[in-house]
Amino acid sequence: MKVRLLYAAAAALVAAALAFPLWGFAMAAPQYPDETLHLQVTRAGIVGDVQEVSTLQHFIGVRFPTELPELTWATAAIVALAGLLLLGALIGGGAVGRVYRVLCAAALVTFLVASAAVVQTRLYQVGHDRDPNAPLRSMRNFTPPLIGPAKVGNFTVWSFPHAGALMLLVAAGLAVYGVRLQPDSSGKAAA
Amino acid sequence: MKRHPFLLIAATVVATLASVHSMGCGASRSARSLAAEKVYVAPGELDKYYAFLSGGQSGSVFVVGVPSGRLIREIPVFEPRAAYGYAMNDNDPRRQELVATGGVWGDTHHPILSETNGMPDGKYLWINDLANGRLARIRLDYFEADRILKLPNMQGAHGIAVVSPNTKYIVVNGEFELPTDGLVTNPAPYTSVVSFVDPDSMQVKFQVRVNGNIDIADTSKDGRYSFSTVYNLEQGKDMGSMIQYDRDAVAAIDIPAAEKAIAVGRGEVRNGVPILDPESNPGVLTLIPVPKNPHGINVTPDGRYAIAAGKLSPTVTIIDAHTLKIIAEPEVGLGPLHTTFDDRGNAYTSLFLDSQVVKWNIDKAVKGAPDYIVDRINVHYNIGHLQAVGGDHMHPAGDYLIALNKLSKDMYVPVGPDLPENQEIIDISGEKMKLLASFPTPPEPHDATFMAVSVLKPLVHQTYTPADDAVQAGKERVVRTAPHAVTVDMTLIRSAYTPDKLEVREGDQVTLKITNVETIRDMIHGFALPDHNLNIALAPGYTKTITFDAGKPGVYWFYCTNFCSALHLEMRGRMLVQPKDSTVTLTDWHAAANVQGQVVAGVPSTGAR
Repeated sequence: MKVRLLYAAAAALVAAALAFPLWGFAMAAPQYPDETLHLQVTRAGIVGDVQEVSTLQHFIGVRFPTELPELTWATAAIVALAGLLLLGALIGGGAVGRVYRVLCAAALVTFLVASAAVVQTRLYQVGHDRDPNAPLRSMRNFTPPLIGPAKVGNFTVWSFPHAGALMLLVAAGLAVYGVRLQPDSSGKAAA
Repeated sequence: MKRHPFLLIAATVVATLASVHSMGCGASRSARSLAAEKVYVAPGELDKYYAFLSGGQSGSVFVVGVPSGRLIREIPVFEPRAAYGYAMNDNDPRRQELVATGGVWGDTHHPILSETNGMPDGKYLWINDLANGRLARIRLDYFEADRILKLPNMQGAHGIAVVSPNTKYIVVNGEFELPTDGLVTNPAPYTSVVSFVDPDSMQVKFQVRVNGNIDIADTSKDGRYSFSTVYNLEQGKDMGSMIQYDRDAVAAIDIPAAEKAIAVGRGEVRNGVPILDPESNPGVLTLIPVPKNPHGINVTPDGRYAIAAGKLSPTVTIIDAHTLKIIAEPEVGLGPLHTTFDDRGNAYTSLFLDSQVVKWNIDKAVKGAPDYIVDRINVHYNIGHLQAVGGDHMHPAGDYLIALNKLSKDMYVPVGPDLPENQEIIDISGEKMKLLASFPTPPEPHDATFMAVSVLKPLVHQTYTPADDAVQAGKERVVRTAPHAVTVDMTLIRSAYTPDKLEVREGDQVTLKITNVETIRDMIHGFALPDHNLNIALAPGYTKTITFDAGKPGVYWFYCTNFCSALHLEMRGRMLVQPKDSTVTLTDWHAAANVQGQVVAGVPSTGAR
């Protein structure tokens, strides 16, 4: 019973994650006191101080990603994962159910790892695939870390998982924990 | 051991000189550092008060931080200012108002703040133009002039005051008297009017006729009376005949009585404004006799007294602000001009001839106690107005006072014959006044008023919300709207003009609508087209429309005058003017987008609503 509740909660979290920004960036520089620039990646695209950031990026030749096709895929995947988890909450406690939930948890974890890889790849591209004719000459290529600060010109750019990603992480935690809680064939919880 | 007397004398002289040197000329070292600490505002820290100083013949308002004395901003009002893009083009509504009401210069004297419950609410500041008889309103959310009013039936707008406690009217005194019917052939004595202006519509609701020259204004704190000092009751037309009488007057106008008389049609309408003649409307005007040619009039924060300054008499006249009876007339010093107040029952009067501020206790003066003078302090030199923080409102702060001096003489490094004005910041928190600091300004502050930063700062916008008709990025265009007319919609953002190339023809009238599409504060861009005498600046979100003649054939660069970015110098563009008979086909920028283009002649607009 407890397992089903966990999976229902995980399904709800995954579905709700779509309503929140997935990833966030905060950009601070001396000449932006009390007005740190923020960008959020949502399922609909990048929102926040888009105009200001793209204005600034043109100085260092960074191409602002106006289209992110992977967001379409990610949205579809998240909806599908929510459905799979919900089914995991409804399915019985027998062997089929156990295996199904293991697969569910694995799918969710795999999705998260893959997404992280995609985000890191994008961040690498932002720092490397730059306009060679950019006005500022002194800038070296850079790779902002997935989570944490990077110095880009006069800015310190913080990259961090936003509410949506955190909800997905919690959901993954619940799913994995649920797998470990599942009663085995003898009816006892797994060690 | 016998000492040589000469050596002893020499040692004494050296020791004395050394001690004098260490004292400095005025204050001791510890007094200096105590004063410095009171006015020091570290970089990045904010002042406690906004001080608004009239700009006098600069036609503007200066915004100064207190206690630091730092000049933070000039708000242009009656004079165009390219650096702020203010009133720089014929198409600008403020310029149109200025031209229509007298000229593109002014002489500002008295800044006053809108009040709610007797305290400044941060909505508006009004400033008069003595020279051209005008009143301007400044919005304090954007620190910009939004209305300029020419007052009919009067020449010279001198004293102004807000009708407390909730800004029912703005009182404006007409200083230069005129024939009652405006006719030069009228041999009758000249008269003046006090105007009552609606603060929201900026319309003159009514005027009250007063014989003589109406000078400085204040109002009772309960909204009942306006008080104006009046000189030249003689109604003389030259100086000699203006100072004959022994006493002139404070004119107290009963505002509800005047409103009643106006409501039943007792006003004689001239130039659209009803004027009340006090002789046929008894009860509206009371003349309170005070020593001749008085100057300042200031109502105490508790609303009990109106205090008229003697100017040519060394006295102030204390008038009961409810009964209009004279209570006392104490001597304060030579040339008393204006009075302000602290929160502890003391008054501070400026003494023009003594070059002093005198602090005196109101209760003691009223009771006739001999020790009503508390303190005197020298100021440099010939002080005019003075204002303590909140002294013109119902709850004075009692901490700082600004002395606005007419002459600076030796106070600053020599800068040629035209010397700066000198303001001094005085600590009035203790029994004795302490001179803390001085700061120079361009000509010529007359009066000042204050607002707490904690109250005003949250109300101030630092970018404009784009107006409905603002040019949007991506919607820029160049359109020929008539055989000899071109309309350009342009946007500015670091570090480019869009479009950066305009092609027009000799003889074209160019209408250029520009929007600064920046959204970040302090990212101001300029648009200078030097050979066409055009230079304007636009703050983020601002839209301006300018019109000009294309001029002679040629290539004309326009460029950004306000340093904006690493590519500021590269932020420029060209206007190409083809000869009238040129066979060159002009390229329309964004030609495809222009096919449907319907351009409405715009007026300059802002997001300010």
